[in-house]
Amino acid sequence: MANRRVLVKRRKSVRNIRKITRTMQLIATARFQAAFNRAVATRPYTEKLAELVADLSRAAGDVDHPLLKTHEDVKRAAVVVLTADRGLAGGYNASVLRTAVTHLDQQAGQGIANDVHMVGKKGISYFRFLRREVAEQTTGIGDKPRFEQVEPIANALIDRFVRGEIASAHVVYMKFLSAGQQRPVAVQILPLKPETAEGKEAAKPVEYEFSPDPQQLLDELLPATVRARLFQAFNDAAVSEQVARMVAMKAATDAAGDMIKALTREYNRARQTQITMELLDIVGGANALS
Amino acid sequence: MATNTFHCSVITPERAVLETEATFVAFPAWDGEVGILHDRAPLLFKMGAGELRVESPEGNQVLFVDGGFAQMVDNRLTLLTEQAKKIAEIDTAAVERALAEARKLPMVSDAEFAARQRAVKSGEVQLHLAAKQGR
Repeated sequence: MANRRVLVKRRKSVRNIRKITRTMQLIATARFQAAFNRAVATRPYTEKLAELVADLSRAAGDVDHPLLKTHEDVKRAAVVVLTADRGLAGGYNASVLRTAVTHLDQQAGQGIANDVHMVGKKGISYFRFLRREVAEQTTGIGDKPRFEQVEPIANALIDRFVRGEIASAHVVYMKFLSAGQQRPVAVQILPLKPETAEGKEAAKPVEYEFSPDPQQLLDELLPATVRARLFQAFNDAAVSEQVARMVAMKAATDAAGDMIKALTREYNRARQTQITMELLDIVGGANALS
Repeated sequence: MATNTFHCSVITPERAVLETEATFVAFPAWDGEVGILHDRAPLLFKMGAGELRVESPEGNQVLFVDGGFAQMVDNRLTLLTEQAKKIAEIDTAAVERALAEARKLPMVSDAEFAARQRAVKSGEVQLHLAAKQGR
């Protein structure tokens, strides 16, 4: 008897959990769509910038810019790690953080100390747990990163790089490859790797009228490229987070469904057993009387 | 008459703000306003903060753009800017606050001076444009 009541209770709570996870799944799906559209909308800007840089460097000839220089003697670097503010997203935060730690250890192996700029509550608390140092932290980016939020982070990195304080800057985030595949990556954003060589090489050279001259234009364009790339990383991370949550919550909902099924079966069996017992009791009692 | 138009797009990191056919566009270059008609020779200009006017067969539009780059190739004008707003979207109170902040920025080093100059200019231009629209 007691067993039955326990089963009913458990089934009820699993049902409630399923309700919650299903809602979260639906929300994540909606947010994923929105975030995905936003991420797609950022692409033209980045692509156009890359095209301009390619055109310009062709016109400017030898490109020598502080953002392209490598500082080999500097034993400091910066890493921006993008995690979520919230959990319940499957392995999302864990795998980004694992990649971040691997990257940090690898850099430390080369004698390079890293300043970590942690984005997202989950990453902050994980690093606190590891007792690793976090130089700067940002929270509340959410699923709609805005350019104004990302710009100061990028500008700070550019500043420090130009002053020669850091040898490189990486960003660790979950790269969105497709709805079914995301991969945690550590991408170098400084020094800028000239993508100019590959890519739009085929485009016919255009005789531009420049104002100011190409060199000065590049001075402006390259930092803009860094900012755009970082912004894109933020967008990618936002999309990946929603996908991860969507998948995790779908799995949780399915698992809860299975569990409810199993519990129901167990409950029915218990009920059946009890009825049989009662019947046996009655029959036994009747037999004893006659 | 088939009017001579060219394509004009205004793109920010977040989205494409404007995609339209235009007959005339005036954008703020870093050193003054530049007007564009169709078949303009290719150009690559740096933009300043200011007013972007787009005249198209469907009507005219005025936007505020805050720096960036302009490229004209093959009758396609692309304006890349980190901020672009319709004049009606300018939140004067917020801009005034930002402007007051900007005026308080230090201007010791060259970089600081340039940053302050930029922020102040951007704020002033936005207020000016909003005022021009009678708001």
